[in-house]
Amino acid sequence: MLEATGLMVFYENMLALNNVSIKCEDKQIVGVFGANSAGKSTLMYTISGIMEDIRKKEDMAGGERITVLGQVRFLGRDITDLKPSKRAREGIVLCPERRRIFPECSVMENLRIGAYLATSSQAKDTLEYVFKVYPPLERLQKRVGGFLSGGEQQMLAVGRALMAQPKLLLMDEPLLGLSPRIQSMLVRSTKEIRDEKGISIIVTEQYARPVLPIVDYAFILENGAAVLEGPRDEVLDNPDVRSAYFGVS
Amino acid sequence: MDILIYGTVNSIALALMALGFALVYGISRVPNFAHGALYVITGFIAWSLLRGLGLNYLLSIVLAIIAIGVVGALIYQFVLIRVRGMAISEIIASYAIGLAILEGLRWGGFKGTTYTLPVFIEGSINIGDIPVDLHRLLVIAIGIAVVAFLWLFTHYTRIGLALRGMAQDERAALMLGIDSDIMAVVAMASGAMLAGLAGIVLLPLGNIVVEKGYDVLIQAIAVCIVGGLGSWMGAVLAAFLIGFAQILTVVYLGTHFQMVVALLAIILTLILRPSGLFGMQKELEERV
Ligand SMILES: Nc1ncnc2c1ncn2[C@@H]1O[C@H](COP(=O)(O)OP(=O)(O)O)[C@@H](O)[C@H]1O
Ligand SMILES: [Mg+2]
Repeated sequence: MLEATGLMVFYENMLALNNVSIKCEDKQIVGVFGANSAGKSTLMYTISGIMEDIRKKEDMAGGERITVLGQVRFLGRDITDLKPSKRAREGIVLCPERRRIFPECSVMENLRIGAYLATSSQAKDTLEYVFKVYPPLERLQKRVGGFLSGGEQQMLAVGRALMAQPKLLLMDEPLLGLSPRIQSMLVRSTKEIRDEKGISIIVTEQYARPVLPIVDYAFILENGAAVLEGPRDEVLDNPDVRSAYFGVS
Repeated sequence: MDILIYGTVNSIALALMALGFALVYGISRVPNFAHGALYVITGFIAWSLLRGLGLNYLLSIVLAIIAIGVVGALIYQFVLIRVRGMAISEIIASYAIGLAILEGLRWGGFKGTTYTLPVFIEGSINIGDIPVDLHRLLVIAIGIAVVAFLWLFTHYTRIGLALRGMAQDERAALMLGIDSDIMAVVAMASGAMLAGLAGIVLLPLGNIVVEKGYDVLIQAIAVCIVGGLGSWMGAVLAAFLIGFAQILTVVYLGTHFQMVVALLAIILTLILRPSGLFGMQKELEERV
């Protein structure tokens, strides 16, 4: 469904993505694992088109020179030149690192802004679904986004992304800074979303352990390069990976 | 009592002048220095339609406001979009447009006291023993209606909610399929229409003169800085603060202190509380 090939991203002369190719099949959950500053967010931004917006803004303001190379294909179509809002319309929705909830809007308003692309019947159904997957959100409907806890914000961020009717959901470090209990709830719900809604998911994490059980296929990113990829069990059995990303030796 | 009535009228007038500026800045972070010119030229357009073409007053007003919305969209699409993100260039470009409009009007002979729009309703009533003309009361009603409309629009419509999302986190809005260029055009067109509406509502209280364009710009900026740039509710509250301060100085010191109050308000706010009453230091937070 998604096929990105030969992605290269330079921030000035710093190579943040070095010839990365990644794939996500229909209804797969793909994991992208890598240490801090390995290039996970850069990859997510490049797939969702946000990179193009960042590049344009830097360019206009005379800031950093950002260069993006490579091709992104989605549902058999070349979308490399589409801007982020168009890619979202095609079905690629990013749930960003640190969640980026609209802080002054209530939970309900955040969800309704998320439904910008949805028809009103889609919005209604999805809202019901979001409350089913994340029951606490229903109780917190009127709470202002900025006053939610990290876990609540993460549920809201995923819920808001779902409202945009994604076919491919990109999740950038959804577990960052959350307690193990909330982490496992979020991991379970992620699988549920894939199983029930048939949405394909690419999820990045620094530590693979919590998400690995639900991942079908995994990539390991190191200093901007994809150094290893394979079906979950294969990656799991690789001794280098085990020591580097699972804390087992 | 007269302080209360005229203070309220003046505050609401200030709020009307400032809302368009606050809206554009809040959503696309563009300080629209052509704001005052849009206010004045809408008056001239309405005047030309009414007196020149002899159209009905209401129709002239509606057409003038629609025209100014289109002008706003064009200014964004052909000029401001090229300098997006560079605050100084945005200010210079929009101020240049404003200057061109205002001085163009002056050059075209629109000056002096010949140009006036009729008040909406003639007559006055006494509140207590103070005579207040009906048009001033209408200003209050329209001001309240505009704020109520903006609130409903931004809380209950798809576009309005998207505009608020853009204002709070443009990148997050992009991820949800909201097109920032389209939203910025919508914001600029609505801001221009608000400036135009303010002109139409307030200009009948005096003559349509070019100088008002500069006054309105400064007052709008004062209100927005005191209220916190980008916060519309802050702008409304700041309008009341400055509005009453102005009336008090007019009563106790003299009319020519009115502009001084606005400028003093800018300076005091920048010294004491640079983010304004309700400003958010978002950019700072993002860097942390
Ligand atoms: N806007 C930017 N300008 C310059 N360098 C950046 C920018 N964004 C990220 N980087 C650098 O690119 C590398 C990859 O960053 P990122 O994609 O955020 O990694 P990750 O998400 O895996 O932590 C890091 O070295 C980071 O410092
Ligand atoms: Mg990251």
